[in-house]
Amino acid sequence: MISKLKIFLFSAIIIAALSCGSDDTSEEPASIGKNSNVAPSLEGNSTGSSSGSKENIFRINFSDPPTFDPHLVTDTTSASIIVEIFSGLVTLNKNLDIIPDLAESWEISDDGTVYTFKLRENIKFSNGDNVTAEDFKWSIERAANPDTGSYNADVYLGDIVGVKEVIESNGSKTSIDGVKALDDKTLEITIDSPKTYFLAKLTYPTAFVLSKNYMESQGDNWIDKPVGTGPFILQEYQIGQILKLKRNDLYWGEKSKVDGVIMNLAGGVSMAMYENDEIDITGVGLADLERVKDPNDPLSRDLVDVPPQFTLSYIGFNVNMPPFDDENFRKALTHAVDKELIADKIYSGLTKPAYAVIPPGFPGFSPTINGLEFNAELAKDYLEKSKYADPSSRPRIIVTIPGTGGSPGLDTEVISDMWRETLGVEVEIQQVEWATYLQDMNRKRLQVWAGSGWQADYPDPQDFIDILFYSESDVNHGNYKNSRVDDLIIEARTELDQNRRYLLYNQAEQIVVDEAPILPLWFDTDGYALVKPWVKGYSFTPIIVPKYKDLYIE
Amino acid sequence: MLKYIFKRIIWMPILLLMVSLIVFFLGVYGPGDPIEVQLGNNYDEESADRIREKMGLNDPVFVQWFNYVRNAAVGDFGESYVFKNREVSELLIPKLIVSAKLNIISFFIAIIIGTPLGFYAAVNNGNFKDPIVVIFSLVFYAMPVFFTAPFLILIFALQLDLVPAAGWGGVFDKRIILPALTIGVPGAAVFVRLIRSSMIEVLDTDYVKLARAKGVSESKVLWKHAFRNGMLPVVTIMGFSLAGLFGGSLIVEILYGIPGVGRISLDSVYSRDYPVIMAIVLLGSSALVVANLIIDFLYTLVDPRIELQ
Repeated sequence: MISKLKIFLFSAIIIAALSCGSDDTSEEPASIGKNSNVAPSLEGNSTGSSSGSKENIFRINFSDPPTFDPHLVTDTTSASIIVEIFSGLVTLNKNLDIIPDLAESWEISDDGTVYTFKLRENIKFSNGDNVTAEDFKWSIERAANPDTGSYNADVYLGDIVGVKEVIESNGSKTSIDGVKALDDKTLEITIDSPKTYFLAKLTYPTAFVLSKNYMESQGDNWIDKPVGTGPFILQEYQIGQILKLKRNDLYWGEKSKVDGVIMNLAGGVSMAMYENDEIDITGVGLADLERVKDPNDPLSRDLVDVPPQFTLSYIGFNVNMPPFDDENFRKALTHAVDKELIADKIYSGLTKPAYAVIPPGFPGFSPTINGLEFNAELAKDYLEKSKYADPSSRPRIIVTIPGTGGSPGLDTEVISDMWRETLGVEVEIQQVEWATYLQDMNRKRLQVWAGSGWQADYPDPQDFIDILFYSESDVNHGNYKNSRVDDLIIEARTELDQNRRYLLYNQAEQIVVDEAPILPLWFDTDGYALVKPWVKGYSFTPIIVPKYKDLYIE
Repeated sequence: MLKYIFKRIIWMPILLLMVSLIVFFLGVYGPGDPIEVQLGNNYDEESADRIREKMGLNDPVFVQWFNYVRNAAVGDFGESYVFKNREVSELLIPKLIVSAKLNIISFFIAIIIGTPLGFYAAVNNGNFKDPIVVIFSLVFYAMPVFFTAPFLILIFALQLDLVPAAGWGGVFDKRIILPALTIGVPGAAVFVRLIRSSMIEVLDTDYVKLARAKGVSESKVLWKHAFRNGMLPVVTIMGFSLAGLFGGSLIVEILYGIPGVGRISLDSVYSRDYPVIMAIVLLGSSALVVANLIIDFLYTLVDPRIELQ
């Protein structure tokens, strides 16, 4: 999904304040000791008012999830809570391999279109009901039904035969031909053509299972007491204030080691709350980085490296709008940017310059893609060769960035400076508010845009190459079109040999990089985080998967 | 007088109707769209349109507005676009209460510090004490909350470990102290300056001079003759504080982790959550209208010379 990046200073402060650091509203700082309450009784924690001893509870700052309904989720905040409460047929492990979740195993027909899932025997919803294939069928039909109002059933389930008809039927058709419950524990899903990335899509919450019985008996009230199959249960939620998860003792897999998770939703200065022992984890902003890296500061012992996120931030060029219709001009701008310098001087090494599209560590990443590196001479050559070498022939260039206050991101400013100094190309930077930015971007009306990026929703290179550069894709905001790239993408969609598929994507990626419809900037990282020494087993994952069940408090 | 109040009350719904119309149309015709913000990059016209249809966003604007007003009139402000299946009232009321509590405490701090200081400065007008009070109040007034809040947290939470750095536990919880001071102290500076100038003016009036000339004791002059008149501007400020009672202070709330109404106000604008925006704006304007009425009414009590007509 699209991500907002480094929007502007003020929001950066606010976001830093929001993104981390909070407290259990009742815990006294002094009470954070080493006394872990071993008795795994949930009752002791269910009220949340700690009695003074250190509980087996993980505390984190978070923000309000817009929904707990897996079929309605569009944002990462909701998704990261939903994956703790609900689950689906398959999930991802920390290496981003697709692994069985509620499905024990599955078979794929020889033509690659029929998936037969065998459900586990011992799976139960958190209210004690058994999970059956019928629940899955009902859930997929619910997600696709326009009455549910799902925003992305089309994206994640649209490959299933019959889903598109249900979505477009306006309620007249509710049953999906491509999903059959063969018996209680066998689910058969038929897709419209062999697509190996289909399984990856099933890891997203839109494909998660809800209890048919429970949902039908509760009506709209179910959302206050959601019943799922994930490692945690929603224990308490007060909008804007606090969210508590507690261990789901009916979870089919290894039960959570912590009794629960407490999320403060009300904000607070994250670093201060961390230092005051009110939360167990916080991100570290650029402003605090130097201090916490100093070995003399006790905080430096809590410092943890956060692995790179699967996010590409880039500057997009609209190839239908002059001067960006000229490949040489785009290449000139690309070669003129010294990303290493910016990464080093502005971001203190927190970001990694990007010269390709697929981030390192992501399935399909290729180290052999030749990027357009910084080269001032080459940049000038390309400008000479372009139709727009003469400044008087050059149309006005407006770079649009999202944000609502003051100065644009430092990187955008420095880049426009580099263009001016190396090439003499003048650009104007125009800042518009996020909703307006989105509107113009989605309608492909922006000439040049920066300040946003693409973050993977599921671990398949299709999620980068196909979505960003296929000529018909809605997300191809710069109208890029190359018939060779289109052919490669179409071929890759139905290629069953995984290695060959990746190769096809890499070929397309190389063409894209060479033609420079975007200027790749960074593969982002969160940089650093602080984690309290008593928290063990916390792992940072670059994609949204359940992560609280494996950690424990010592 | 009753007639006057009656007239004012009649005007209230008309004013609110006008406000709602303007805000509603600004939302619909301004750039940005709630469905689009949620879909982000997954936006495609077709699915967006399906959702708009379902939510009634494809109806003519006047129909939408009329439906909204009809429901709002009986207290139904609809469901949030962003927080799925949540009533706007369910979202806002707890936050409004929190903000109101914080604002009341801050207001009392402002009055308790501000009134005596302003009075003191006015009485000492002409000697060195007055400018000292004025300078200090200006300094506190000028300090932005994004400076004072982290500063207070650093001193009282991290260094002295007296209070937690963030959180909310209601009026009788010690975590309210820092945020209330952060809002209340600059507020006190406003009172200081207002009361000071008003008192100086009053102390210079003929009737005060006459009282002094008659040999009335200085304390009696101050308390009986000057103070009540000098307090008139305080009534105005109190009224407007009342109007702002349910308003959130975005930065203070975020820095201290207070679940007030400030953040949702801002977020609702960014995400084009129109039902929430409308409710907040309508509430704010009603509070202002009511407060104005009360101020006018209070004036007549404090100062019998003023008559409403």
